[in-house]
Amino acid sequence: MSNYSFKGGIVIKNPYLVNKVEIIQASLPKKIILPLQKFDGKAKPCVSVGDYVLVGQVVASTESGFDVSSHASISGVVLSIDTQDIVHKSGFKFQCITIKSDGEDKWIDNKGGNVDFLHYSKETLVGIIQKSGIVGMGGAGFPTHVKINKVLDCHTLIINGTECEPGVMCDDALMQFYPKEIILGIEILLYICGADRAIIAIEDDKQAAYQALLTVNRNDRININQIPTKYTSGAEKLLIKALLDIEILSGGFAINEGIICQNISTTKAVFDAVINHKPLVSRIVTVTGDGVYPNNFEVRLGASFEHLISMTSPNTKEHNYRMGGMMMGIDVVDINMPIGKTTSAIFVNNKVSEPIVQECIRCGQCSEVCPIGLLPQQLYWYIKSKNFEKALNYNLPDCIECACCDYVCPSHIPLVSYFSFAKTFSKQQTIEQNKVNTARERFKYREYRLERNKLERAQVMLDKKKALKEKMAKEQFQKQKITEAIQRVKQAKDKI
Amino acid sequence: MMRQVIYALALGIVVSYYFFGWGIVLQIVLGVITAVAVESAFLAFRGRDIISSISDGSIILTAILLAISIPNIAPWWVIIVGISFAIIFGKQLYGGLGNNLFNPAMLGYVFLLISYPLQMSTWPINFLSFDQALEVVFNLSNIDAISGATRLDEIKNSLSLSNSIKQLEIHFPSQVWINVGFFFGGLYLLFRKIISWHIPVSFLVGIVITSVLLWISNVDLYIPMQNHIMLGGTMLGAFFIATDPVSASTTINGRIIYGFLIGVLIVIIRTFGGYPDGIAFAVLLMNMTVPLIDVYTQPKVFGQ
Repeated sequence: MSNYSFKGGIVIKNPYLVNKVEIIQASLPKKIILPLQKFDGKAKPCVSVGDYVLVGQVVASTESGFDVSSHASISGVVLSIDTQDIVHKSGFKFQCITIKSDGEDKWIDNKGGNVDFLHYSKETLVGIIQKSGIVGMGGAGFPTHVKINKVLDCHTLIINGTECEPGVMCDDALMQFYPKEIILGIEILLYICGADRAIIAIEDDKQAAYQALLTVNRNDRININQIPTKYTSGAEKLLIKALLDIEILSGGFAINEGIICQNISTTKAVFDAVINHKPLVSRIVTVTGDGVYPNNFEVRLGASFEHLISMTSPNTKEHNYRMGGMMMGIDVVDINMPIGKTTSAIFVNNKVSEPIVQECIRCGQCSEVCPIGLLPQQLYWYIKSKNFEKALNYNLPDCIECACCDYVCPSHIPLVSYFSFAKTFSKQQTIEQNKVNTARERFKYREYRLERNKLERAQVMLDKKKALKEKMAKEQFQKQKITEAIQRVKQAKDKI
Repeated sequence: MMRQVIYALALGIVVSYYFFGWGIVLQIVLGVITAVAVESAFLAFRGRDIISSISDGSIILTAILLAISIPNIAPWWVIIVGISFAIIFGKQLYGGLGNNLFNPAMLGYVFLLISYPLQMSTWPINFLSFDQALEVVFNLSNIDAISGATRLDEIKNSLSLSNSIKQLEIHFPSQVWINVGFFFGGLYLLFRKIISWHIPVSFLVGIVITSVLLWISNVDLYIPMQNHIMLGGTMLGAFFIATDPVSASTTINGRIIYGFLIGVLIVIIRTFGGYPDGIAFAVLLMNMTVPLIDVYTQPKVFGQ
């Protein structure tokens, strides 16, 4: 077990305990919606409406090196290619491909499998990972090939199997049922990024998963490390602190320290892609909450939340839905939206009345649990009085929005909402400020230019005047010379 | 949360009742009734929700803290004036719960101490029956025989009569037991994690260090450490008054500084000041410094 730790964080007992973790194969959805949203680049659809597609067929290909392909996860006919709402923090619409199932589940010919990955070059493997559509499946969705490709001297590969959010158990199940695949996936990643060692981090309440991995691991470069069960230990920077006692600087990246973090689900996806030539078309999603009996489902990407929830026989009460963990997840308004590559869980909770928000009594519990060491109540105070600059001085941008402070606040103040609002607002303000600054700069330059022109013109005039003067002086001089000469001639004449 | 604090006070109140009788009960009842009435009136005036503010218990806690701080044979109007002042000037004028700079109960206490020094310095010496308490508090008849000064006052007075500490007989008077009562109440709060240990511990450490230093400097002149700890309102101050989250420092290091300096100030005020007990003054003085302490004790931010 790791000896290190980080300050703050909270221990939340899993509120929806199940005695058995298993993976249920979800039925084929009738329709899928594949969002093509990625980071900078945009995958371009390479099918058109009405086309027949097979499972695993590329429906959107990459053009930029930063993007990954999208694959059909069911066989059927392309219904539409248009922009749709998906569950995303930004609330933006994204371009999506909708496919209607033919109910056959026909796969593309994926040309065998079970090959030795050591035969491939690193570049080929990176290409395979990119073409298989693999992104970080923990939540952020950062393209995996970019992460592992960028490295110059990576010494440690951290495999995040902490799953610190209470209730979520998809990674737990994955580790219990696919330990061999995970270990092999890690070996592939080790081979690509050239790290000396890999550390699998597991929370100590997942003993079954720990034992499963321990029994299959024959590689002495792979350590399996248990860390205390505490919420926010899954956050990349805090996990690195807990495992290696290295503090990634504010605004810095793990890779600057030679560390790469990958989610445990991602390693399984890498295994599937490299060994089985199988692109990412499904993932394991936990359906939990007090409205349903908790279960893990392996479900095709793009299936609707509704499709998954209908399989769990929820109780008849009214529900709230939440995607991701109960702490950091996003509320789902419309359950017809699709499941994405980063959807780890969906919470189905009975609707309860919201607790009444009371005044902050400065009890300081929020700052005790803040893993970053911020003073949430101070930030709240400044944001409430619209003093954003002061809030920024109190390191607001470092907030990871883990919601620990929300959880412990005795006055039920939605602190994180205030913080994310202030962050967005100050970002907006910075943009506005930049615009103002640019305008001012431009104005200043114009003033300067006009001034300069004036000076230049004055200089030109001066030069001209000077030249004229000189010319006149010269003429004068010549005239004088001439008169002198004439006089000399006259004098000479007179003498004669 | 505030309710737990009220429960924790019960033990000390029971001990106080055991020694001094019904006076304290009368004061608490008067205080709570006045507090609820004044708070409701003010909230109604400000157009705020009355029920949610009253039900959080903070105002009742303020009333109880003030009621047990003042002498329990003080005339009925003392607590009424005190609690009204505490709520109006200590709390509502700052904008209600969470916004006050000073500890309202202590503000009320100091106001009373300055305005009515006579009524604020007489304590009963015996157990008072309900009838006796009623008579004293409502001024129905004058019973001088049952009142006297506090132990700290007594010590101070005899010191000023140039008696040496050694000549004074130090008993285990009622106040010691009351302090023990509040100490265990405080332990309950710590155990239930209602308060953190930082303020009470640094508070007591501040008292111990300062009083020991003074005592070493002149054994005859200064009160020994154990008397500072066990007399007056020390335990009530350490666990219930200085720990008021609203007016205390909020950072961990800040709390340690805050508590420690209150302890130091208490001994200094008790020893050199004109008033017998310095808790209220020390707390209010440190309340003023909280914004400054908070600024300079910000925790280290991860990655910076």
